Amino acid sequence: MARHRDEYDDEMEEEEEYDPDQAIDEDDEEEEEEERGGGSRRPSQKRRRSDFIDDVAEEDDDEEEEEYGEDDEAYGGGGGASRKRKNKRPSGSQFLDIEAEVDTDEEEEDEEGDDDFIADNAPDLPEEEDGRRMRHRPLMQEDEQEDLEEIERNLQERYGKSSHREYDEDTTDVDQQALLPSVRDPKLWMVKCAIGREREVAVCLMQKYIDKPELQIRSVIALDHLKNYVYVEADKEAHVREACKGLRNIFGQKIMLVPIREMTDVLSVESKAIDLSRDTWVRMKSGTYKGDLAQVADVDNVRQRVTVKLIPRIDLQALANKMDGREVVRTKAFVPPPRLLNIEEARELHILGDRKQDRMTGDYYQTINGMMFKDGFLYKAVSIKSISTQNIHPTFDELEKFRKPSENGDGDIASLSTLFSNRKKGHFLKGDAVIVVKGDLKNLKGWVEKVEEDTVHIRPEMKELPKTLAINEKELCKYFEPGNHVKVVSGTQEGATGMVVKVEQHVLIILSDVTKEHIRVFADDVVESSEVTSGITRIGAYELHDLVLLDNNSFGVIIRVESEAFQVLKGVPDRPEVALVKLREIKCKIEKSFPVEVKYKHKVSVKDVVRVIDGPCEGKQGPVQHIYRGVLFIFDRHHLEHAGFICVKSHNCALVGGSRANGDRNGNSNSRYDHLRTPPRVPQSPNRFSRGGPPSNYGGRNRGGRGHDGLVGTTVKIRQGAYKGYRGRVVEVKGPNVRVELESQMKVVTGKSRISCLLGYLCIFMGHNISVMLAVDRNCISDNVTVTTPYRDTSRYGMGSETPMHPSRTPLHPYMTPMRDAAATPIHDGMRTPMRDRAWNPYAPMSPARDNWEEGNPASWGASPQYQPGSPPSRAYEAPTPGSGWANTPGGNYSEAGTPRDSSSAYANAPSPYLPSTPGGQPMTPNSASYLPGTPGGQPMTPGTGGLDMLSPVIGGDSEGPWFLPDILVNVHNSGEETTGVVREVLPDGSCRVAIGSGGNGETIIALPNEMEAVVPKKSDKIKIMGGSLRGATGKLIGVDGTDGIVKVDDTLDVKILDLAILSKLAQS
Amino acid sequence: MFFHIVLERNMQLHPRHFGRNLRENLVSKLMKDVEGTCSGQHGFVVAITGIENIGKGMIRDGTGFVSFPIKYQCVVFRPFKGEILEAVVTMVNKMGFFAEAGPVQIFVSNHLIPDDMEFQIGDMPNYTTSDGSVKIQKDSEVRLKIIGTRVDATEIFCIGTIKDDFLGVINDPTTA
Repeated sequence: MARHRDEYDDEMEEEEEYDPDQAIDEDDEEEEEEERGGGSRRPSQKRRRSDFIDDVAEEDDDEEEEEYGEDDEAYGGGGGASRKRKNKRPSGSQFLDIEAEVDTDEEEEDEEGDDDFIADNAPDLPEEEDGRRMRHRPLMQEDEQEDLEEIERNLQERYGKSSHREYDEDTTDVDQQALLPSVRDPKLWMVKCAIGREREVAVCLMQKYIDKPELQIRSVIALDHLKNYVYVEADKEAHVREACKGLRNIFGQKIMLVPIREMTDVLSVESKAIDLSRDTWVRMKSGTYKGDLAQVADVDNVRQRVTVKLIPRIDLQALANKMDGREVVRTKAFVPPPRLLNIEEARELHILGDRKQDRMTGDYYQTINGMMFKDGFLYKAVSIKSISTQNIHPTFDELEKFRKPSENGDGDIASLSTLFSNRKKGHFLKGDAVIVVKGDLKNLKGWVEKVEEDTVHIRPEMKELPKTLAINEKELCKYFEPGNHVKVVSGTQEGATGMVVKVEQHVLIILSDVTKEHIRVFADDVVESSEVTSGITRIGAYELHDLVLLDNNSFGVIIRVESEAFQVLKGVPDRPEVALVKLREIKCKIEKSFPVEVKYKHKVSVKDVVRVIDGPCEGKQGPVQHIYRGVLFIFDRHHLEHAGFICVKSHNCALVGGSRANGDRNGNSNSRYDHLRTPPRVPQSPNRFSRGGPPSNYGGRNRGGRGHDGLVGTTVKIRQGAYKGYRGRVVEVKGPNVRVELESQMKVVTGKSRISCLLGYLCIFMGHNISVMLAVDRNCISDNVTVTTPYRDTSRYGMGSETPMHPSRTPLHPYMTPMRDAAATPIHDGMRTPMRDRAWNPYAPMSPARDNWEEGNPASWGASPQYQPGSPPSRAYEAPTPGSGWANTPGGNYSEAGTPRDSSSAYANAPSPYLPSTPGGQPMTPNSASYLPGTPGGQPMTPGTGGLDMLSPVIGGDSEGPWFLPDILVNVHNSGEETTGVVREVLPDGSCRVAIGSGGNGETIIALPNEMEAVVPKKSDKIKIMGGSLRGATGKLIGVDGTDGIVKVDDTLDVKILDLAILSKLAQS
Repeated sequence: MFFHIVLERNMQLHPRHFGRNLRENLVSKLMKDVEGTCSGQHGFVVAITGIENIGKGMIRDGTGFVSFPIKYQCVVFRPFKGEILEAVVTMVNKMGFFAEAGPVQIFVSNHLIPDDMEFQIGDMPNYTTSDGSVKIQKDSEVRLKIIGTRVDATEIFCIGTIKDDFLGVINDPTTA
């Protein structure tokens, strides 16, 4: 305010020639007016002043309203008083802030006003005038050198600068108190008006007031944030009514008085939490720079504008064109990338700027086309509203750009410290090590003792200092030392842990525990912690180290999870390729992983340790984490890049040690598919068998080793004999015998808690995945215990078939066995030892067999999960069934079934449809020559075994597999095509006459069982039961429960729960 | 730092080992189980040097296993913050280098390598001073100071520095 007055004095020098007298005259007049009631005093005053006093001054007037009477005098007199003082001041002081003095002046004047101050002042005035003139002249001369506009602008600038802020700072509470409205002051009335017309109303009232000075209102206030109302200041309600009369936008019926106490609230500016100060980081909300980080260079609270420092996004070429007056092609979409302005470059394009000095700061700016640049940064004045100040988390990259090359140390701290304003509540905790970053105590270290609102009590490190010091939160920063183990609690690296290797001001460099990479974080974002994590490890369904299929059908392992995206090590062998992938770019997670062949024909599955023996990653070694499309992802602890993952072609690797997949993982899906995969390996060539040697050789090892121990405590299901189907826990393995504690029905069985199972075969389930066959029979002992060795299995088969005394042997077993063997065999062949492990390995291929056993119901074997009708492959699996069923079929076909060729085809084919990698397997020929495209060596099926297996069903004779029947809908795969057809007739050899078309209208072909799969019925489909005691019956599928279908049988109207696998859709006829 | 301390452990022994060689079996099993392991408190058990005493075995119900409390002397190695160690460099990369001091892996970040040493990429990545007089590469022996340790259940990982007086290469394989 003082400044304003100064300016006004400066400006109005000429006026001052007559000012003294006039002032006196006017004061006299005013006194007279006051005596008259003070009615129209103000307008005249205002008008008089309005010539030279700007708005701000008027505002001041308003604020000092209650002192109004005296105030006017104060202006005259106060001016005089301050002038007196000014005389004593050095001439440059005009720019100094003399606010405080003015305030006191006013108070003095208040008192003086009571005295006859005019008389006192009058003599001073001329003298003062001289002083002013002397002081002012040179200034004017300076100014005259610039043009008038310049002067005007300067004034504007000076006026514009926030006297407001200074005012706030300087006024004390007491001063403020004195300004509060009292009962003697005019009151504030709230008047309703049309919504959105608040300002208009205010202006109208003002106009009306100007036109009719007799109106007795004092002021009108329209608040931006208050709709529908304006405030009118007047002494009486009647005055307000008078003023409002005739204005259509005012609804003057109701005029409310604002209580004195609330009057101040009307005009007090709601203090937003934003306190913008220099160096604060903000983001632009709109325009070209939308989203850009900016630093506040200056704040103008009065005009609600800030000057921000930005990295310019300027297309110099376009600018040059524009300045040359050439056509500027406006491409809207194009936003120039942020780049610091290079003056030289600009000059080359003939963009010439002016160099100007900022009056206030004395800094030099380059002005080009109205834009101000300094050090390459753009300084831009924007409205406070167009920047967002909350939750600004500048990234390191952004900050880096803002950092001038020359600037380091202090500058950085200052800017960083502004980041602290964004920190969360409860940022400091008791015990945190902190360092003071601002103020007198800068660089003092200490520990947090207590945290209050904004104040943190710290126990300083220095002994001489008091025990605790209260320090503003904003002046503190967390402090770490190299070697601290910390956890990042906010920011992009949130969740990561690591050890501090370097402390640079308030930036820590952390060595991540997991990735062994350096991370840069703000000290503020971390806490000390002993935890070890890598940060966020999952987004959506995807977790760190998952194998995922990407959009473009490539695949890779997630090696890092960032806040929004994943880093994926692509499955490109021999050349690490890392892609940053968004969540939506990931198609799915690949869970299954088939064992794959590596060097020396070893089979490797997940968790096996391999060594890379070829290619760029040669020498690396580690457990296999994922297998996909012949590519292995190996995790090498010592490999520091890509989170330790190496991607290699399978044939570049060699197995190290045995295959030691561990059995503690629940890998249902894996095992399931593994099984499917197995057949290729199944077939042991006859000579393999011979090479295998006597089973007993292996038996010994297995007996003695962990295998047995491993069995103890596992849950098994007894597969054969009187206790068939019972589950129990193995309590002891003793040589050939297994003692099993039955889970449920021990009482029923024997009344004893333990049964020695010398009864037949046992099927053991490890975890829930693996099945092993155990013979507890003395004869079978050694062989069967070592189930896992392929050779054993073979022998067992032989035995099985040879020993008709096992009457309960079900046909499915033989089917299953080969598969399992298959799975197991190759591995064993390859590495001998792993056998046993394999058996326990949930991923081991044999698991499907177990699934079957688990069903415990021979009739439903086809229904075991992997055959679930829901999944196409499972359906395909049914292909073999015809063979088996047909073997069972009365009519002596079983003899045929017994032929090795058929049997082998039957089950060897079955799996092949599942094998995605063996397309050749699709069109199956009965003699199954094609079923193992991948493993030619494995082809020769053991005729003996197969044959015997096939025979067993006959022996058992109690089971019927699912089976094609007339009238069911099937999908026929023929020469690669898939068509739907209706089975018209089942031929004795297992093939079917199928009418093509879902209605069976098309041509009729003969399809082999393995070329067909029954169409999976859906809920409320008509179905035909293909297996079990109800075989041939029709019904309606009224519900599906997992792998079971709930069927209402047509004939009996019974509701049965049957395996979906033995249900097939009935053709509509 | 190495310590010679007495530790205690309960060993479970399978009944098949009972007999004349019970003690030997027990001890060999103990060695197998304990040597090379790491505990946060004691660090790595380097070697068992003696058995203090073997307590009475207790047969565990159901399994037949017998558990013996054994007190044994052993040498343990536990790195401490501030300790100076000599270690062999095992890997060098742009972020720093890894060195091993016995079972302990130590990482020396490039921030903790003297500023005049620069990373040289190539067949044999290394850190070299500008005049080439000092070179840190795989198999170099360095003396370093541990500035931080992280103790997992099975591993102790340290961060070291050679940015200090008297630290750095002590034996270069290329010159030796």
